[in-house]
Amino acid sequence: MGLGVIIGVFGVLILSHAAYSTIQYRGLLKIMEEEFSGPPMNVVLELLLGFVFCIWAALTVPGKFLSIHPDSEENRIVSLSANLDFMIFNHRAKAFPLEIDMKLKH
Amino acid sequence: MAGHSDSNSSEKKSSEAMNDVPTFSAENLQNNMKVIYYSRTFMSIIGGVLAGILGFTGFMGFVLYFLVMAITSIGLIAKAKFSVHAYFDSWNRIILDGFMGGLMSFVLFWTFAYDIVHIF
Repeated sequence: MGLGVIIGVFGVLILSHAAYSTIQYRGLLKIMEEEFSGPPMNVVLELLLGFVFCIWAALTVPGKFLSIHPDSEENRIVSLSANLDFMIFNHRAKAFPLEIDMKLKH
Repeated sequence: MAGHSDSNSSEKKSSEAMNDVPTFSAENLQNNMKVIYYSRTFMSIIGGVLAGILGFTGFMGFVLYFLVMAITSIGLIAKAKFSVHAYFDSWNRIILDGFMGGLMSFVLFWTFAYDIVHIF
């Protein structure tokens, strides 16, 4: 996931650099008094590259798909609910000496 | 009888169909839906920024949105290794879910990027 985040940040940086280039291109067009029909070709290529990086990050960063079949390999271990209904405290560990007593004896 | 929470348990859900009993783990399905939602939201934002930088106005922007969503759907299906039924219970989830919510984010970032690049 760390690599995905780095690639995502990289993609966003490339997109913002492309935005900056487009702003400068528009400034140039204003000086030459022409109309804006589209960004120059290298900006379009840069946008495409940034877009591809962002797609890759969007598919890898959020996490993996987990299988929903109950009998698939990765769902073998079924965990009971970890809520208080199933936690019991009335078991044999009360036969152990208390930790405080052990510490006091040293 | 105490109620139980199903947010962190591998709960089975079964239907009453006579010929087949499709059981699946609802917790894993929820996790998969969350992954799709995050992916689609991020791609809507990136698509909005792209539409703003390219200077699209009006209908062309929405065409770009549908294109970005289609590419995201294909990417998600590829991520599920083309066996959608191992991860979801119906095709609609992986193709259509998050479509409308993403549209709002798309228009927002489209407007932002267009203003930053072309107006100010």
